[in-house]
Amino acid sequence: MANTSKSKRLFTTAGIVFLALGIILYFAKAPLGLNRKIYDLPVFLIIIGVCFALKGFMAKEKTEEEAALSGKTFSEFLTNNAILLAMLVLVVVICILQPRFMQIRVALDILTQSSTKLIMALGICFTLLIAGTDLSAGRMVGLAAVVSASMMQTATYANRFFPELPQVQVWMPIIIAILACMVFGALNGFLVAKYDMHPFIATLAVQVIIYGACSLYFDMPPNNSQPIGGIRPDFAALGQMRLFNGLYKGFPGISILIPIALVICVIIWFILNKTVFGKNVYAIGGNREAAVVAGINVFRNIMGIFILASCLYGIAGVLEAARTAGATNNYGNGYELDAIAACVVGGVSLNGGIGKVGGIIMGVLIFTIIQYGLQFINVSPMWQQVIKGVIIAVAVAIDLTKYRRK
Amino acid sequence: MRKVFMTALIFVLLLVSCSYAEEIKIGSCIYRFNDAFMLRFRNAMTTEAEKEGATITHADGQDDQPTQDAQVDEFIQAGVKVLIVNPVNRMDAQPIIDKAKAANIPVVFINREPSIEILNTYDKAYYVGAKAEESGQLSGELIAEYFKSHPEADKNHDGKLQFIMLKGQNGHQDMILRSRYSVEAIRAAGIEPVEVASAIANWDKLEAMKIMNGFVMSIGPENIEAVIANNDEMALGAIEALKIVDYNKGDKDAYVPVVGVDANASALDAMDKGEMLGTVLNDADNQGTAAVKLALALASGKDINSIGYEITDGKYIWVPYQKVTRGEK
Repeated sequence: MANTSKSKRLFTTAGIVFLALGIILYFAKAPLGLNRKIYDLPVFLIIIGVCFALKGFMAKEKTEEEAALSGKTFSEFLTNNAILLAMLVLVVVICILQPRFMQIRVALDILTQSSTKLIMALGICFTLLIAGTDLSAGRMVGLAAVVSASMMQTATYANRFFPELPQVQVWMPIIIAILACMVFGALNGFLVAKYDMHPFIATLAVQVIIYGACSLYFDMPPNNSQPIGGIRPDFAALGQMRLFNGLYKGFPGISILIPIALVICVIIWFILNKTVFGKNVYAIGGNREAAVVAGINVFRNIMGIFILASCLYGIAGVLEAARTAGATNNYGNGYELDAIAACVVGGVSLNGGIGKVGGIIMGVLIFTIIQYGLQFINVSPMWQQVIKGVIIAVAVAIDLTKYRRK
Repeated sequence: MRKVFMTALIFVLLLVSCSYAEEIKIGSCIYRFNDAFMLRFRNAMTTEAEKEGATITHADGQDDQPTQDAQVDEFIQAGVKVLIVNPVNRMDAQPIIDKAKAANIPVVFINREPSIEILNTYDKAYYVGAKAEESGQLSGELIAEYFKSHPEADKNHDGKLQFIMLKGQNGHQDMILRSRYSVEAIRAAGIEPVEVASAIANWDKLEAMKIMNGFVMSIGPENIEAVIANNDEMALGAIEALKIVDYNKGDKDAYVPVVGVDANASALDAMDKGEMLGTVLNDADNQGTAAVKLALALASGKDINSIGYEITDGKYIWVPYQKVTRGEK
């Protein structure tokens, strides 16, 4: 009991301290001439303070809470959250090196960049939940980007993919692009479900097929492998529009990608937690034989998993084309690894059956913040690769340690 | 019986082709058909050959040097009067020269320049292309001209030019030369260039957008006076990143001049919208025309100095790059 109230008190106190500090700095920064030194730090402190305080008030009287803070399991807590802690250290370092990091604009930009990654991660998590993987995800992004962009060029653009194509409704190419991905998703699912192929090999084969097919499409005359440009503004708006732009002076607006990703999060959460299909996914991932014995139609569920996942990659690809107002067959290259890594950082077990939407959101945010932060202080891309690899290795190592402990 | 018939047929065909000897046959080896720039180059050569009443046959080297070597053999067997070769690997041009020399056929290399040592082994070997450093130089000049004619472009009023450089693939010859000569051209124009940041974006729009996004957020667009990209795709990526902070959307006060190289359709489109300052054109049409004119002069024994292109060092035709800015197409 005493411990519970201790943890509760800790969060509440920390929250109030942050809140107070934030409010003081908010009013003090202008007179002290700190505007160009701490930027929007006070606002962030206030937000963090409110979150901590709320967590303190809401903290349930649970025994795990006290265990988490007792000395013995403290090191365990550290290992389990190593990547989160590393991220926090990195954020502090970046804020010192480059105070511009402490801007609302930057935070919103990170959320924007997380959005497409989150959609991908939510797709790939289904395949991870059945102890599989999906290496074709990145190439599906490329396929959807190229297909949708190729039909969404302005009439006056000099180098149109389909010179004779009329200005079609925006939703048509989007549907075609997503359907194209779903065909390949069905192929993934068929290979895995019908022949019991390991998803690693099945999706690797499909990855190569997709890239080849996409390159063939991209190479069709008159385009001949030139980057697709001249994207229609109404299509680009899907990825570039900002809501509440200029709500107050200097407010950059909230990218439309953020609400899109949130809606998809809610849908996926619902599917995973409230539908028979979702329960089946966890069941197949937890113990496939048991699932078969329990009468679950594994074939149909695995097909469903890969098709649903490919639908999400398709959406991500369309948004990526809209966001960048262009596409090449090289789009999405390597995205699957980022998505898998984000899932693992977010607590999705590679052994299947374990993983929550909340964790995936956290994983994507942590991973994006690290990548964004490294880019922000202009760390060489080669070092970024090294660091990314280390994060993935550490995350999987932690996951496996947890698994063994059980 | 059939063999005899075939031999007779070939003999007749040879006779026929000899009787029309005034039509010159050109064999053209392209390193890879699937390349936008070489496609334009190829079309320009075909047009010029048709105009001159010659026939030109293109072969697709499929980005493979042995394939191309075999195609050179086939052309020589087929009795072409002159070869135009766009080598797959410019360091591996020696076997091609040796083959041409053995058959005493002139050879014009295009787009990828064999070293002078290789070219010197055959008196009928030539090269038509553009000087890579010139593309960098012209993009630097574009920025320098803008900076001089727009006093407001010097955002911090220090008289120096704070720029960001977006580079192509590491170690690529074009990347090295364009990066170096663009900065030198700015200096030559009497402006001190200050590199705020630079990064390798591998000729890629998406990568350039990600990198530039980082720079825009960390440095601030108000502290960037120019973006120099080694190609148009990276320039366009930079522009997309600038648009996120409402720069380069047509507002004069929120503008960073961005230049690229290639003059591709997307870049021209962005320039029409006022998002991009300018680009540099590698003149494929002119190079294609020059290559065919030189080849025909060589094949017919005409004076190569009369074709309308200047011959440098007896072996080279340098076709200049061209600056492209708003309003031009």
